[in-house]
Amino acid sequence: MTSIDVQDLTKVYGTTRAVDHLTFHVEPGRVTGFLGPNGAGKSTTLRLVLGLDRPTSGTATIGGRAYATLDEPLRHVGALLDAQAAHGARTARDHLRVLAASNRLPERRADEVLEEAGLASVARRRVRTYSLGMRQRLGIAAALLGDPPVVLLDEPSNGLDPEGIIWIRELLRRLAREGRAVLVSSHLMNETASFADHLVVLGRGRLLADMPMREFIDARVQPRVRVRTTDGAALRELLARHGYDAVEGADERWIVHHARVDDIGRLTSGTGVPILELAAEEGTLEQAYLDLTATEAEFAAQTSKTSNQPQEA
Amino acid sequence: MPFTPVLHSEWLKIRTLRSLVVGLAAVVLVTAAFSAIAGLDASSDESSGEDFDPLFSAFFGVSFGQIAAIAFGAQAVSSEFQGGALRVSLAAVPHRGRWFAAKATAIGVPALAVGLVTGFVSLAVGKAVLGDQASGLSAAEGLRGAVGCGVYLALMALLAAGLTALLRSGVATLSILIPFLLIVSFVVGGVSGGVADFLPDKAGQVVFHETSDGALGPWSGLAVTALWAAAALAAGAWSVRRRDA
Repeated sequence: MTSIDVQDLTKVYGTTRAVDHLTFHVEPGRVTGFLGPNGAGKSTTLRLVLGLDRPTSGTATIGGRAYATLDEPLRHVGALLDAQAAHGARTARDHLRVLAASNRLPERRADEVLEEAGLASVARRRVRTYSLGMRQRLGIAAALLGDPPVVLLDEPSNGLDPEGIIWIRELLRRLAREGRAVLVSSHLMNETASFADHLVVLGRGRLLADMPMREFIDARVQPRVRVRTTDGAALRELLARHGYDAVEGADERWIVHHARVDDIGRLTSGTGVPILELAAEEGTLEQAYLDLTATEAEFAAQTSKTSNQPQEA
Repeated sequence: MPFTPVLHSEWLKIRTLRSLVVGLAAVVLVTAAFSAIAGLDASSDESSGEDFDPLFSAFFGVSFGQIAAIAFGAQAVSSEFQGGALRVSLAAVPHRGRWFAAKATAIGVPALAVGLVTGFVSLAVGKAVLGDQASGLSAAEGLRGAVGCGVYLALMALLAAGLTALLRSGVATLSILIPFLLIVSFVVGGVSGGVADFLPDKAGQVVFHETSDGALGPWSGLAVTALWAAAALAAGAWSVRRRDA
């Protein structure tokens, strides 16, 4: 079982601290979502883990070894950093054959991963004829080439069509089930919520959170309950007596903050207040993330604009 | 990490880019074509006197063929500096020194092979066009010129490759080297002697003359060109090893 260990990692470019004393671990057998606003240091961290950039201080190791000391590293770690990396004049198959040759991987692996990425029919076409989504698929195919126990993907859903989004989601889940350590950076909250088990959140190069996704959401988003009744006044009075604050919405719907369905259901059952609908409004990753980054984001204006919109679960 | 698979990978990179293969073919065609033109010009010129050099006439096209060789060396390296390709390459081969050595080998060996073909084709074309005027050209001189042509073109390709790795741009490399070869060298070459003899192209091209009156002979001239190429490669290797990818 191979894990990624980032220990007190720091990278300074001129006067900018792109990564600032960052420590976290990526465990095998689960998908770790790597979140943070633009410029938070996600891509820099991935480059440091891959030994492409040199850290100012600290270490990043894979299974206890620095990436640069790995023999035939594609067999240990697969990475997608930039979908534009494949040369436009080469065919997808040749791009993968070149990579396979350097790590003594059999040429049939190129065909296997192209099949897996749904590119088998266009394998002999030049990459410059590919759409962004197809290039993403090729980059992911390249990451899987050496059947590695560790997979790092930077924004893999970029440019994918709806079918591609479902494909990547299921692929990530499967890779984790197979016991691999999977680290996926993303801007897309709903997308990340659909595949991540664990979250590592960065802001301005520093670690803001490193915890299971469910825990992260529950800690940041207050639970709410939606109640529909024909007797709003009675409901409000009842809830107020028990210390709940109910706010009227449209169509006789009431939103009860800081409450769980179990509590509200029990309360109302014996009182004769007619309840037509009772539902929990689960917190979303997006709400939790925006709550966290509202204070931390470098691009605060952009973030607050989205967080002011109604948060419907 | 052994060297052979890395070299195999770099060789595949060159083979799978059509523009690089075309570039190598252009070295042969351009050199032979310009040598033929030079020969035709010389053979129609009845007044060519004692100082006519049939060897230089046969290899006249190298001055133009070397542009194709330089473009090949620069392009083979510059493709790594487009769209994050270098990151993919170095993630596959993190031993950067070994990676760059493989890259240089995959450029130098085909450039040498194509350069030798160029040499013999150019010699044959030159002699055929010159006819009687090539009678003074000995077999040994012709062989020296052809082998020298292979070595010279390979060294110029490597010079461009090293410079491209240092500058991280093929465009920058070509916009330095091409004006240098076509203009600076011609102008400075006119006032031959002294430092100008030690320029990478002037030194290496002594091998294409029947007699040399400068400080350098045919092989010592190529050795000077080799030093220039080695310096460029060393600077390129330093850049690849030291800088963030």
